[in-house]
Amino acid sequence: MRKLTGLLLMGGFVLYLVSLVPGLFNATTPTALDSVGAAIIEDSRTTSGSANVVTAIVVQYRGLDTLGEVTVLFVSALGVAILASGFRDDVFRSMFADDDGGFILQYGGRLLMPFIVLVGVYIVAHGHLSPGGGFPGGVLIATAVFILILTGQSARMPHRLLSILEGAAGLGFIGLGALGFLGSELSFLTNTLPKGEYLTLLSAGFIPFIYAMVGIKVASELTTVVSVLTEAPGHESGKEEGRS
Amino acid sequence: MTIAGNVLVLLGSAFLVLGGLGLLRMPDVYNRLQAGTKATTLGAMSVLLGSAFLAPGLATKAVLVIVFIALANPISSSTIARSAYKAGIPLAPVSVRDDLKSKEAAE
Repeated sequence: MRKLTGLLLMGGFVLYLVSLVPGLFNATTPTALDSVGAAIIEDSRTTSGSANVVTAIVVQYRGLDTLGEVTVLFVSALGVAILASGFRDDVFRSMFADDDGGFILQYGGRLLMPFIVLVGVYIVAHGHLSPGGGFPGGVLIATAVFILILTGQSARMPHRLLSILEGAAGLGFIGLGALGFLGSELSFLTNTLPKGEYLTLLSAGFIPFIYAMVGIKVASELTTVVSVLTEAPGHESGKEEGRS
Repeated sequence: MTIAGNVLVLLGSAFLVLGGLGLLRMPDVYNRLQAGTKATTLGAMSVLLGSAFLAPGLATKAVLVIVFIALANPISSSTIARSAYKAGIPLAPVSVRDDLKSKEAAE
């Protein structure tokens, strides 16, 4: 019986694939935007004031999904932290904490780190003007911190500060979204702030502020992930000294 | 300007192709690092310089990226080589000398 069901399913799948073959030969390249794309490009300059249409979509048209994305990232960071605390051997500690990365990385990394942070902040702040935004910019900032960890300074990671920053950024995102209730539309994540002058740094209403929150959140979460992965249990701030 | 830019871009692409070939052909991690970092440093710099010639509006950014590559590529490749050596990845059998090993043995 199971074999028969499998055969039927397989046969149906093959038939479906065969039915797709003619489409390969008379496929045409679309020459115009579909209705949704054209409408968003038409609408985004006045509704969002953002020069980068992708950012307008990510933060404004589907802002709730972005809030969900940030939550997914938070849950995965939580999962990594829980899993990493289960490592009982000192593999990661011997790989990272007891090694200073060598002379070249020590000095070269220290030279480059501020510039990497600067580029990260730039990308976060210009999310509504040029490609980029909170997610890639936050990753860049976390990368700069990872260089510090590679040079053996993970023990000095301020975990308490990172978790406060992360929570505050999440609350800030929701608070900026709640500003939408002040407007005439009375809905969450509506852009009620003044749009400013098109193509300037302080434009597009709440979009740069929300992206700043996303940037802080992503940077602190990823920093926590890499520092938790590279710290051995019992190594963090001495409060779990009693556990072997 | 256009000719110089095109020549530089072509030269850089040739170096990048050679670097990719070296990644495939070299026998061990350390030799591959030579191909994968030295050739691509020069290749990427040449392509960027060529694009600065072709589009003068981008020249400032291109020069900044060149400076960044000149700083970051040697640091990262030396760090990769160092961690590979520390992790005990062996040299290819055809290697003839290991200066670091003989230096550590002498100390």
